[in-house]
Amino acid sequence: MNAVFSIAKTTIGEAIRRRVLLVILLIGVLFLVIAPGLSVLSARQNYTVLTSFTLGVIQLTSAVIAIVLTVYLLPNEVERRTIYTILSKPVYRWHFLLGKYLGAVGALGMMMLLMSTVLVLVFKIMQREASMEDVSRLATAPFFFFVQMSLLAAVAMFFSTFVSPIVNFFLSGGVYLVGTLFSPVFQDLSENKTLAAPVKGAATLIHTVVPNFAQYNIQGGIINQGPELRSVELYYAQIVLYAVFYIAVFLIAGMMIFDRKEV
Amino acid sequence: MKLNRTAMSIALVACLTVAGGINRWAYPLWRVNFSPRKNSDLRGLSGDQLLIALAGFREMVAGILWVRADTFFDEGNYDAILPIIRLVTMLDPKQIDVYATGMWHIAYNFTDEQNRSDRRYIPSALALGAEGSQNNDYTYELYFETGWLWYHKIDDDYDKAVSWWEKASTKKDIQTARRNILSMAYLRSGDFDKAIAHYEELLGEAETAFQKTPNDFAARQQRDTLETNLDNVLVRLAQRGNFALKGGYYDQGDYDTKPPYDVGFSARVTVEDSKVLRVEGTWGVQPVGTRIRIVLRDADDPNGRPAEMVWERGDKVDLDPDREATFMQDGLFVKNQAFYRRIDMSRDPTMYPFTTDKYVVEFYYNIRSGPPHLQDRFGYSGEGMTDARYMNTEVRPGQRVIYAKLELTRDQLLRQGEWATKVPVVQTDGFVTTGTNQSTDVIKIPTLRSDREETTGN
Repeated sequence: MNAVFSIAKTTIGEAIRRRVLLVILLIGVLFLVIAPGLSVLSARQNYTVLTSFTLGVIQLTSAVIAIVLTVYLLPNEVERRTIYTILSKPVYRWHFLLGKYLGAVGALGMMMLLMSTVLVLVFKIMQREASMEDVSRLATAPFFFFVQMSLLAAVAMFFSTFVSPIVNFFLSGGVYLVGTLFSPVFQDLSENKTLAAPVKGAATLIHTVVPNFAQYNIQGGIINQGPELRSVELYYAQIVLYAVFYIAVFLIAGMMIFDRKEV
Repeated sequence: MKLNRTAMSIALVACLTVAGGINRWAYPLWRVNFSPRKNSDLRGLSGDQLLIALAGFREMVAGILWVRADTFFDEGNYDAILPIIRLVTMLDPKQIDVYATGMWHIAYNFTDEQNRSDRRYIPSALALGAEGSQNNDYTYELYFETGWLWYHKIDDDYDKAVSWWEKASTKKDIQTARRNILSMAYLRSGDFDKAIAHYEELLGEAETAFQKTPNDFAARQQRDTLETNLDNVLVRLAQRGNFALKGGYYDQGDYDTKPPYDVGFSARVTVEDSKVLRVEGTWGVQPVGTRIRIVLRDADDPNGRPAEMVWERGDKVDLDPDREATFMQDGLFVKNQAFYRRIDMSRDPTMYPFTTDKYVVEFYYNIRSGPPHLQDRFGYSGEGMTDARYMNTEVRPGQRVIYAKLELTRDQLLRQGEWATKVPVVQTDGFVTTGTNQSTDVIKIPTLRSDREETTGN
């Protein structure tokens, strides 16, 4: 596993040096900093708008970073021919792929940690009366966004084993879009008793195969503080497990393709 | 070294199966805790709005839109507010204020030139309330607001208000004072036992709270208020003979509702001009301020019901009312035992389209909506009220109401065809001309005679 961690460490270093990612990160942080400017809204809306906007910025920025970061990982190695040097050593291809993925997730985690720190600072400045419990509640969302983006990175990593970066960018974005917006729809369709069996079957299949990114959007429960959350710890455990298994699915599939790839 | 592809394939399928299982297991919890909407997706949103929702800026955009709506309120641009209300509730279904304000706005604010609200919007307001309460079922607020719409605006079918307020009462966050009104709804729906039981339950709680904090003004006030309300209800039920009615000995006692008082109702409708009605008539009850409901509606409207319409029409929130339907409702103010009102619908063609051939003009009086001092005489269900011609026990089962119906044609209402030169006049049997046009400010004060000597003055 040393090889995996070495590759991961190198990948993190490369990612931090990439200007395009730093620019995206900077824009995200900038948006977080100017978020208080939206406090011209009424006092009742202030908390809602501030939390919604800042969490939205983190989620959107993270999604762009996750995809941009991952789609180039393998193609760049092939293009620069550094992959031959690595694979000529006693390193398995799946080591290489796993190392690259873990490196991407590590870099993503560092960037998201920076944004989350800025988020907490902005929140504390704007909502002085907020307790530590409120802050920790707010910080829950970025953590699950990180889990969500780790899953998205696995999707992009899988596609990067057989499509070009540009195609991968749109493909991964599309999967994220479908998995975020339509997972609940397909779930509801699959449970609808009035629908025909083939329609329900198709909905169930799509809902099972397409990763459900929607379930990581937990900001509603944080922004709207009224509803009492039920069995929330169990739910958090479930979606982390879901991510682990689904990441495994994409990485195994990617490894199987990469193993046969002519490099 | 090549991978063991068989083992990898098995692992892949196993992981996918487990992930699928977890997904189905976790979904109900996501739906309960974090889904913005309980029963729907984002099908009502356009592409750019979907993008906003996707990007996670739902609440922010909804908040900004709502602030924008505020400026439309200030400008009186009510039509522009409707789509914003819908958009905000789609983007952020947790915005209780928007649902509540939206319901009020839809049900109350679209009025004609004489300030009669367009009641064709009420089904939309109710649907919005139903959707809002479903999306925010953790709080009493939208259950209460929907109940209030039935109780105050529709002012009929009180069992609906009861049903909504009973749900509101089960919520932990309901304010104490707002639980009290459920008893009023029970009374208006005719369920006196539940009204008493509810007051007693609340009084018990208030008493306990007061014992704990005897120096707390609010606790004392709540207890005193409930005690007074319960006493009043018990006294009224006794004096009006409701206990006797229930016990089957009403005929043997001397109650305030006996003998039934003849209200001497009569009415005439004259179509003065196209879509302009002059309504006049008699109501032999002395106190000033009785309002008799008048409704003009399409005779064959499938949603029409005596002196009202079918208000609940499913959960679909359609902010565009039935543009083909005509439904006018107003209150005829009684003074000096007569009423007179000029109803001008000519300046609001979109509200009163008059697209069908036949119309009914209905007059309706239900003491359940009346003030307590009149209920003291007429009873909760009209036991102490009668009318030689128009007493009705069918249009509202279990209640004695005054109900009369007249018919008009489209040609008559628009003063066209043979009615271009003839003045259409329809009136109830026994119409009595009073000659009043209510221009006088003089109110005739009745003499202090006993109940037994009351006359209708007709």
